[in-house]
Amino acid sequence: MRKKVLSIHSSRGGTGKTVIATNLAAIYAIKGLNVALLDLDFRSPSLVDVFSSALKDPVRHWLNDLLDGRCKAEQALTNVSEAYGLKGKLLLGLANPAIEAIRNMIEKSRAWEVTAVKRLFSLRSRLFDDMDIDCCIIDTSPGIQYTSVNAVVSSDVSVVVATLDSLELKGLENMLVELYDAFAKRTVVLINKVFPETRAWSSDEQKILIGKMEKVLQHPVIGIIPCYCDVLQAKRTSLLAVDKPYHPFLRNLEEVAEKLESIKEENVEEDILCKAKS
Amino acid sequence: MKVELLLAKLVDELNLVNQKLGSLIELNEKMLKTREKFLRVGSDKNHSRTELKLEPDVMSLLSLPPSLRKTAMVLYKLEKATAEDLARETRRLRPVESAYANQLVRMGYLSKKREGREVYFYIESPMEIRK
Repeated sequence: MRKKVLSIHSSRGGTGKTVIATNLAAIYAIKGLNVALLDLDFRSPSLVDVFSSALKDPVRHWLNDLLDGRCKAEQALTNVSEAYGLKGKLLLGLANPAIEAIRNMIEKSRAWEVTAVKRLFSLRSRLFDDMDIDCCIIDTSPGIQYTSVNAVVSSDVSVVVATLDSLELKGLENMLVELYDAFAKRTVVLINKVFPETRAWSSDEQKILIGKMEKVLQHPVIGIIPCYCDVLQAKRTSLLAVDKPYHPFLRNLEEVAEKLESIKEENVEEDILCKAKS
Repeated sequence: MKVELLLAKLVDELNLVNQKLGSLIELNEKMLKTREKFLRVGSDKNHSRTELKLEPDVMSLLSLPPSLRKTAMVLYKLEKATAEDLARETRRLRPVESAYANQLVRMGYLSKKREGREVYFYIESPMEIRK
């Protein structure tokens, strides 16, 4: 896999970003790739709960501290690979869930955001050049907020997780053009929580739905994942890729993971230009 | 009786107009004060230029034309860069990059400094400016 940063984003909350991000990271680490998983959802941190059972010691340094310049990258990252018996590294960068920390992040100035995006780029270099990381996955906050846009800007490929809700699709259409195309980012859409009937669909039937969605969104749809009640009801601390490796949700996500590995991030501007002309 | 009612209504309306005029005058005074302050900063030759810098945050970049946005984005990644470094990243011609970077300097988003024979463009960290 060519080293890359993937940002997992959505126009609204509740699309399943975190489940996608955590399991995508685990799928790659199971395969033997070295992965960094960063929680940039500072308003609603969740990775600390998902990985609570794997964290032996209390977290002393958060991503908040790293972006504030209060600690080094290696201090803000924890390897949980051993706890899950993964082949590759799984470095976690967690967002501080304390109310005071959330309030502090909300009150950050525009000046701080400029420094934060520069620190994100610096972290990216450290991960790839010094820590032997193959893939960095960023779980972002939904919609257009500073931290999520910072994550999009510092990533190579943006995976936008969406559901088939018509209101969400409208917001997504706008966001795809006004945010991703504006920053010339390679962007793919992943449709999650699709009505359960699609589980029985043939690949041709799925292709028709994907084709329709691509026509509406004017961006490639990398996959559709049906809704599974047990995934929605699973414990917050459960890492499906490790706990239930044969779950059909994982089959779908593994296909997505494979496509993401081979995705090329070059010539985005040319593609956007061609799309605009057509 | 009818006339009295009409007059009372008229007085109410006039009071309302008076209130609105009051708030408009107040707003105008505030605007004049801000303008004076701005002109004072602009004319003060001893005043540090860096205080007039704009913050090239991601949201501000969205309002820039795509050509300039691309140059500014490269400077998030590189600490400082010559026009040639920028051209290598953006795959555009060096003189084009130089023109874009200088335009961003004039707009207040970037700074530039000479080091020997090279001219470097960089994003001045606003956090440091405010210290």
